[in-house]
Amino acid sequence: MDLQYSEADREFREKARTWLAANVPAKTRPANGHSSAQFDRDWQRKLYDHGWAGVAWPKEFGGLGLSGLQQVIWYEELARARAPHYINTTYVALMHAGPTLIARGTEAQKAFHLEKILSGESLWCQGFSEPNAGSDLASLKTRGEIVGDEIVVTGAKMWTTDAHHADYQELLIRTDPESQRHKGLTWIICDMKLSGIDIKPIRTMLGDEHISLVFYDEVRIPLSNVVGEVNGGWSTALATLSFERGLGFIGDQLELYERVGRAIDMARQIRLEDGTLAIDDAGIRQKLASLKADAMAIRAMTLADIAESDRSGEPGPKGSMMKLLVTATHKALSELVGDMMGWDFLEFNGDRAAHPWTYDYLWSWVFSISGGTNEIQRENIADRVLHLPRAR
Amino acid sequence: MYLAPDGDELEIASAAASYLADAMPVERLHNVNSADMSAAMRTSLAEMGWFALALSGDAGGSGLSAVEHALFFREVGRQCGPLDVLAQSLAANVVQDEALLRSITSGAVGIALAVGDGDNLRILGAPDAAFVLLVDRSGAQLFAAPQGEEKQSLDPATSMRMAASEDAIVASLSGSHIWQLGQLGIAAMLVGQAEATLDQIVEYAKVRETFGKKIGAWQAVRHPCADMAIRVEAARSQLWFAATAIKEGRADAAAHLDAAKHVANLAAVANADSNIQLHGGIGVTDEHHAHLYLKHALLLAKLFGSRRELLANLLDAQVEN
Repeated sequence: MDLQYSEADREFREKARTWLAANVPAKTRPANGHSSAQFDRDWQRKLYDHGWAGVAWPKEFGGLGLSGLQQVIWYEELARARAPHYINTTYVALMHAGPTLIARGTEAQKAFHLEKILSGESLWCQGFSEPNAGSDLASLKTRGEIVGDEIVVTGAKMWTTDAHHADYQELLIRTDPESQRHKGLTWIICDMKLSGIDIKPIRTMLGDEHISLVFYDEVRIPLSNVVGEVNGGWSTALATLSFERGLGFIGDQLELYERVGRAIDMARQIRLEDGTLAIDDAGIRQKLASLKADAMAIRAMTLADIAESDRSGEPGPKGSMMKLLVTATHKALSELVGDMMGWDFLEFNGDRAAHPWTYDYLWSWVFSISGGTNEIQRENIADRVLHLPRAR
Repeated sequence: MYLAPDGDELEIASAAASYLADAMPVERLHNVNSADMSAAMRTSLAEMGWFALALSGDAGGSGLSAVEHALFFREVGRQCGPLDVLAQSLAANVVQDEALLRSITSGAVGIALAVGDGDNLRILGAPDAAFVLLVDRSGAQLFAAPQGEEKQSLDPATSMRMAASEDAIVASLSGSHIWQLGQLGIAAMLVGQAEATLDQIVEYAKVRETFGKKIGAWQAVRHPCADMAIRVEAARSQLWFAATAIKEGRADAAAHLDAAKHVANLAAVANADSNIQLHGGIGVTDEHHAHLYLKHALLLAKLFGSRRELLANLLDAQVEN
């Protein structure tokens, strides 16, 4: 075991820190609307132009091909520089769609899409979940009928984040009407401008409308947009999910330590309702320190996981453990800050920039439900790490 | 940067595991008079050189680092091993006098651990110990073992007695080195315990049936097991970080150790709790191992930094990347 950074790693950190210090936008990201997506595109374009786009992507596809450790360094520096958050309208394109195309796409698909993703030109959304297929994704019903050289899609997808901003969608549909469960599904690239697509925003408990219900009424998609095999979509989808559960949340893992630090700074300045400085309250002190220890352990766990995956070349099975721990710590930190802030925590106009802690508190449920609920993550651990008997 | 045991480290961990499973299996604690390290156990460990693991080669030790020290004590923890194994190892790092050092590393004399309790000393370990070791963040002192009044201990693995403070110092060492090795050893034992209790319930969940199914198929059992696994993973990773930080002499080693001890405390106690609960009725019986891990974890949690002390230190601690 060692904690030494190589010369190359130290230089990389220095280079990233210097560039970010000079280039992080001074303007705050708009909370909603077209301007928020434009902000994300502009930031991604800037990253692309200066050679920082696609940190996890292989070099041959235009990425940086960073090792796990250098990705850790990159996300630590992003958090330190308070750079625009990496979970924005570019997230699905960079973290899901691009890696899936790299793993399973045709040469033509890669040539057309990958650079557009890296440069922020095209934004993507995910079309996996349905009104009656969430945790049990394999029960999805949206139909795709092959007619000539097209697939005609009819059905509905749900919880689609940023559907109204997206140019393309990774769409998972049932192409074999006789099929059950994981068989007979197809993963296809859907152009969101096609006729027959109707997007109905869903208002969330955060007061925003970032997620949608998307209806498909005989939407005609070229057969050449299929990624992987027709009726082999489950295998293509798994390539995406394992990526998300590997290093997909690495930024959140590393950002926690910064966030706990900010909460400790706040505790030194904020007074509780009885006039006590928050940091002088024994209960708050202990909870803050305990969260700091948790954040340190999460960073160590990230490094331990990377030690194994850099060596084996595959993401470890620990992504589910990480997501559970990070979501629990995130929520506990938000609750504690809520205690410290008192009435101010209960003022909220839906704007993350104006009310970051209240926003993040409400978002903690989105975090612990999306990308596999905490309950599904525990099932994964029981199956894949502990090898317990299965009832399903 | 590589934060997982590797190469020779894995071999030492594996050698320790197989030796300790034979020398001090947790089953021993179901026998009478099984607390502490017996003279025979002490001699056997000494012959294997385990007390001199972290001692420099010049002083007759193996010259290994805090990392191997942590790997060894994690295996001790898995067997609910006696606390005086740690006291003996630490004392070997305190003493400079050659004859005394030899009597400690050879197991000729035993060492118990002492902690201040008001004006008194609470002594933990074998009643036949010749010396007791008192450690704090600024140094360590070895005393001739004082007469003490026996106290019935909650933990079957550890004898306990109270003595008036003694000041017949036999050896001492200033600085934080012994404290750090002690804290790391305790954190490692707690991680080993958290792992052992997870292993016990997972094994049981694969064979025990209720309502026509293995209990490991029920989500009411699967999900708490998953939570136990997460606690193990986090505590073990932070233990690796702390051990390596000491080995490399990092300025933030003390902060990482405090964090490691804190998360290990929580993991060991919470996993011991879940292990008892998920075993059902058999989990509260004396004949089962489950209660032994809870009682030993509660004792270890008090040593080398209680929860309150660790958290007070951590709040202002600075760490590097």
